[in-house]
Amino acid sequence: MEVFKLIGIGILVCITVVVVKQVKPEFAILITISSSIIMFFMIIGYVDNIMVVFDKIISNTNINMDLFKVVLKIVGVGYLIEFAANLCIDSGSPAIADKIILGGKLVILSLCMPIINSLLDVILGLLV
Amino acid sequence: MGVDIIFKIAAIGILISVTNQILKHSGKDELATLTTLAGVVIVLFMIVDMVSKLFITIKDLFSLY
Repeated sequence: MEVFKLIGIGILVCITVVVVKQVKPEFAILITISSSIIMFFMIIGYVDNIMVVFDKIISNTNINMDLFKVVLKIVGVGYLIEFAANLCIDSGSPAIADKIILGGKLVILSLCMPIINSLLDVILGLLV
Repeated sequence: MGVDIIFKIAAIGILISVTNQILKHSGKDELATLTTLAGVVIVLFMIVDMVSKLFITIKDLFSLY
């Protein structure tokens, strides 16, 4: 099971970070970055499987494909923003993390615009 | 993407701190800061490589072009 490996590595990395933080604080952040990337690559298989299932569901029900593409993009942007923001908070600068989060929100909002337009078209179509 | 990268970075960190102690005691303080800088740069090269791999993977996965 992948879960035990994840938990084991997570605890191990926390201990390593504490040890290295006393000896050389600069490297603590670098270890955090590298370990979070490695743990992401460990769970990437699950994301692939979920994507395949979603594609099948979407293709069966004749939902518009690019709506699902936008949702996928938003999930990707959300993950990246959360990755960077938590990293900044860990390294002790929450102000920068807030700027990243603000930027992420705006990007996601701009991604949503086509959906809102199509929603309005549908509603107007019903009303007329 | 093995776990060994984490311990490689930790080892570099500890090695750098040991060399700093030696350099400080032998009176060459400015060299100590330079070795720290060199260590951080080396590890940054490794990290940048991993981050670029991460971004490429996420771009493919979520079709974020």
